[in-house]
Amino acid sequence: MFLGNLGSLAYFLPELAVTATILLLVVLHVASKRKTSSAPAFLALVGVGASILLAGVSPPGEGKAIFEGMAAYDGFAVFFKVLTAFATLVVILMSMDSGELAGRSKAEYFIFLLATLLGMFLLSSATDIVMLYLSLELVSIPSYLLAGYLKGKERSTEAAMKYVVFGATASGVMIYGFSLLFGMAGSTQTAEIGRVLAAGKPALPVILAAVMVAVGFGYKIAAVPFHMWSPDVYEGAPTPATAFFSVAPKAAGFAVLVRFYYTVFAAHDAASGLWRITSSMDWPLLFAGLSAVTMTVGNLVAIKQENVKRLLAYSSIAHAGYMLMGFVLLSPAGIEAILFYLVVYLFMNLGAFYVVVLVGNSARGENLSDFTGLGSRAPFAAVALSIFLFSLTGIPPFSGFIGKVYLFAEVIHRGVYWLAVVAALNSVVSLYYYARIVRAMFLLEPKDPSAIPVPAVSGAMLVLLAAPTLVLGVYWEPVARFASASVKMLAF
Amino acid sequence: MAAFLASLNFSDPYFAVLVLLVIALAMAVGFVFLSQALGPKRYDRIKFDVYECGVDPKTPAAVRVSVKFYLLALLFLLFDLETTFLYPWAVLYRSLGLFGFLEMAVFVGILLVGLVYAWKKGALEWQ
Repeated sequence: MFLGNLGSLAYFLPELAVTATILLLVVLHVASKRKTSSAPAFLALVGVGASILLAGVSPPGEGKAIFEGMAAYDGFAVFFKVLTAFATLVVILMSMDSGELAGRSKAEYFIFLLATLLGMFLLSSATDIVMLYLSLELVSIPSYLLAGYLKGKERSTEAAMKYVVFGATASGVMIYGFSLLFGMAGSTQTAEIGRVLAAGKPALPVILAAVMVAVGFGYKIAAVPFHMWSPDVYEGAPTPATAFFSVAPKAAGFAVLVRFYYTVFAAHDAASGLWRITSSMDWPLLFAGLSAVTMTVGNLVAIKQENVKRLLAYSSIAHAGYMLMGFVLLSPAGIEAILFYLVVYLFMNLGAFYVVVLVGNSARGENLSDFTGLGSRAPFAAVALSIFLFSLTGIPPFSGFIGKVYLFAEVIHRGVYWLAVVAALNSVVSLYYYARIVRAMFLLEPKDPSAIPVPAVSGAMLVLLAAPTLVLGVYWEPVARFASASVKMLAF
Repeated sequence: MAAFLASLNFSDPYFAVLVLLVIALAMAVGFVFLSQALGPKRYDRIKFDVYECGVDPKTPAAVRVSVKFYLLALLFLLFDLETTFLYPWAVLYRSLGLFGFLEMAVFVGILLVGLVYAWKKGALEWQ
């Protein structure tokens, strides 16, 4: 049953909270005299915090189709709302610390950040291709502005420009795919399109549509060959915005990828509990290939990087490749592994970027040479960064290992051995370039031996991000249970 | 080929459309190549000049346009779309009742915040 517009509002509270905060921020920005006050940051924190609480307040149960079938309110959507809102919360705190943004008016920065968050909320719950496209643009357009926020800095402007051009091309191709789907099914509802395709349609347009839509989503999660924008954008954007791009829109991209392909090109089989491909195209094989290429390219190119932000950009491409492994398996355990991996990835990746922000504040740069001797200059930050990097590699006591175990176990369980072998080899490669940063921090002499101050708030944030990275490595049960409860996707 | 020709149904009304399509395509593409192949080629400086209705061009064609035009165009688009939503709403105003009024108030209110923002930022001043 579809809920009407008024009845849906009760299931739309997180989005309403974020919208209200955005409007308040605009008013606050034009009304206030002091452009560099920290009031906008606190307002944004309160707004995002409220949206997390509201997202958790009413359990989704079996799920509801809200706004006449435009969006779904189900466990899957709630999981991604909490995840992306939490990432935004950390990024807001990171932005308050960032030296790059100091002296600039931050109200608009937070407006863009929250607008992106609103887009991600809608993207993770959209069940209608028109709504889906709109929310994808709502994620993209404020992201372009965030990338170019350092007005006057050449690299930042270049980043924004490249992001716009790639984004426009990708969404153009994607919406062409949508138009083919609409032409075949005569409906914009994803579930209805799925039913029509399952009834049998000529192969060529279905393949074309599936591939074209993959371009749009692949761009959002930065999968090879749609990744070209990400290193330049990650390098040029302010570091907190980079941290944000590498986690939150990527998570939302995975949400929409899973929901769209599993409702349109697959059908849930109640007997086996698995999904089966309904269209005439073997799209899981396509994505398995993309996954292997993505992690290989990401890891191999990361080896040569001298700029740590660029290195982390390639590493995040590689992680998108690992997560895509869970997507191709058509099993609930595969999706569960993606969700679990996204949680651990959030902590370790945001943590790594937090240290980059702290080093960048004093070194005015993010090159590998700025990290030399960090072990003596800021021992606490250096140890924290080592934890995050080893966790990103996937070494046992850390949570990244458990995330990979879930992914690999399901890949092997479903018998896709070649993909597991490729991923295992890639993890070995990744150890090299992560360890290179650790080596620079502890074994190389610093250029400038002066201590880097770590403010108390930043220290607390590092602890807050490092603790889950360590704890989830030994006690991951609650998160795994939350992830497996969230696999329930509404199909109507 | 023979089997393909045999499968064609010449009395199909769409066959004429197909023939028209083929002829139109052949003419359009054919004439481009024909003029290329048969036409005389005498190039000089004037032939390579920018064509401006026969008048000598005075300035380069790539002129810088002030960013203010874009701002104004963007604002125009915004409020133009707002009116497009307001028309059908105004026609159905009575049947929509209080709910319709409040919904439109929220919509216009959000746009109003945007207008205040643009105003305060000086987007409406032509300096």
